[in-house]
Amino acid sequence: MKLINLLTIWYILITMIALFLGGLLIFKKFESEIDFELGRELDRQIDAYAKRIESGAPANRLIYDKLEIREIPYDLPLEELYLRDTVAFHDPMNRAENQLKASKSYKIDGKHYRISYYNVVVEAEDITETVVITMFSVFLIQLLFLGFFTRIGSKKILRPFHQTLDQIRSFNFQKNEPLHLPKNSIAEFEKLNSFLEKMSQKLLNDYRQIKEFSENLSHEIQTPSAIIRGKLEHLMNEDISEKQAMMIQSVYQSNEKINKIVRSLSMLAKLENEEFEAPEKIDLSPIVSKLIEGMEELIELKNLEVKTQIQENSLVKIHPFIAEVLIQNLISNAIKHNIDGGKLYVELNDYSLRIENSGLIPEKDPEEFFGRFSKGNNNSDSIGLGLSIVKQICRRYNLRAIYRIENNLHVLTILFK
Amino acid sequence: MKILIIEDNPELTQNMVSYLQGENILCETASNLFDAQDKLLGFQYDCIILDLMLPDGNGLDILNFIKINKISSNVLIISAKDSLDDRLQGLDEGADDYLPKPFHLSELLARLRAIYRRSRLGGSDQLNFNEIVLDTAMIQVKVHQKILDLTKKEFDLLLFFITNKNRVIGKEAIAQHLWGDYTDDLANFDFVYQHVKNLRKKISQAGGKDYIKTVYGIGYKFDPNIS
Repeated sequence: MKLINLLTIWYILITMIALFLGGLLIFKKFESEIDFELGRELDRQIDAYAKRIESGAPANRLIYDKLEIREIPYDLPLEELYLRDTVAFHDPMNRAENQLKASKSYKIDGKHYRISYYNVVVEAEDITETVVITMFSVFLIQLLFLGFFTRIGSKKILRPFHQTLDQIRSFNFQKNEPLHLPKNSIAEFEKLNSFLEKMSQKLLNDYRQIKEFSENLSHEIQTPSAIIRGKLEHLMNEDISEKQAMMIQSVYQSNEKINKIVRSLSMLAKLENEEFEAPEKIDLSPIVSKLIEGMEELIELKNLEVKTQIQENSLVKIHPFIAEVLIQNLISNAIKHNIDGGKLYVELNDYSLRIENSGLIPEKDPEEFFGRFSKGNNNSDSIGLGLSIVKQICRRYNLRAIYRIENNLHVLTILFK
Repeated sequence: MKILIIEDNPELTQNMVSYLQGENILCETASNLFDAQDKLLGFQYDCIILDLMLPDGNGLDILNFIKINKISSNVLIISAKDSLDDRLQGLDEGADDYLPKPFHLSELLARLRAIYRRSRLGGSDQLNFNEIVLDTAMIQVKVHQKILDLTKKEFDLLLFFITNKNRVIGKEAIAQHLWGDYTDDLANFDFVYQHVKNLRKKISQAGGKDYIKTVYGIGYKFDPNIS
């Protein structure tokens, strides 16, 4: 959910509560104000009638439907103005109506009169209606302004934030440039930007250090390892016994393994560092065909039955060198772990690369082979980094690798989309 | 053939020198850019083996130096920097070949010979070895004047053996020579055995001697002194 929508919803809810409470308050205020004004008016009327009685008008002739004059015992104390709601017959409307009755007593010429005067009150429903209509209009006006605000206002206010987001999105280790965010006048955004700038600087420094480390590591190990290899090759040419030959072979192979591990790890590091940008899509079909051709002898050696279905112009956005590493890894795996006289099917199209091969069925979930140093057979000579390189390549170029066992065949699929 | 090895690691230089000297290659060495430039101005070399990471600069500078001074030596780059960029840049700037470290000495020799053949002999060369004649331009082998029906890989294998004759060549070196990077993941070397077997069979069938000897489990040796 967008921040602005959330804010709007909250704002609408709060406004609704505020308008409701405000409406109630206004309703109460209206009601009491009307009652008060009406009371004063009635008081004035009653006073006027009392004056007329005082000036000699006969009390019983003044009476009409709104006025009630009654004589009460003289010794009762004078009654103050007394207001109450009542239902009385209203002549013009010809029905009973809510009315306000005001009464007060006067002592005039030795007589005690209680004068009561009725008047129609403004009904509660009428007030409610007015209040609700008013509040609703206010609410609508607010919604209108809110809509305007979210459409235009927020865009303007949040523009620096979106600019920052865009910059972060395009941040790239290869460019080796820390973020440079434009200054802006909103304190929070300014704080965020300066924090991001510092962070990007630090990230780049860390990245450089790690990169240097992995590059140095592979370089520093490769040189002594090259020396070992050279010395062993010289040693092979000496007059040696079979026992010595075996030892040389063993050292030689271990040295080769170190080499492979270092090379694979440095490849993984490079992939993790997002090197090898892929500027455009390339056609994988010639690469697949060439690699299968290059491994023809190995295929023949294992007497594999090979079927290929390679669609031309199978375009994928990937670095050409890495595409070769990926496909070579997959196909050589399919050959290496195959059984004598087994099967190898390679299918390539726009949508996926699918490699099926026979082989021993692993006990564990084949997906686990994507992990580093994970091997199906612990005695195998492979170093167990091949599929983790595959996985890292897939992650780097937004591909999806799936490893399943189907009909007793190992099926490795790389989905391009 | 006279070469200059520009490499800062003395052990590695020593390895190369002692291997190549046995092949009648005259080796001189330089351990930094300065020495190398000095030697290049003073002497004539057929080929330069160039390491890219030198204590006083990048080996690629030598390529420029060679161009400016119109030195006609070929250049074989050896580098531990296994990065694609360096490889492409090196070849772009006029190097003849690029061999990533660590390499097999037999491979180094084969590459040197190949460069030499390409540039000095116009690619065509006949290697005579007793009854065996290799024509590198035609990719053809004759044993007792009879053309052998060899695959490209078998031809490369024989050339590799004859170039490194009298040397023990490890199975790994052979695999890497024939299949390059593909061997990275192929731990078993049955296919090397298979190829050597086929080659031996074809030479024997044509009446050639079986020069190729198995050396324990390590590898093979093309032995001219076979009885």
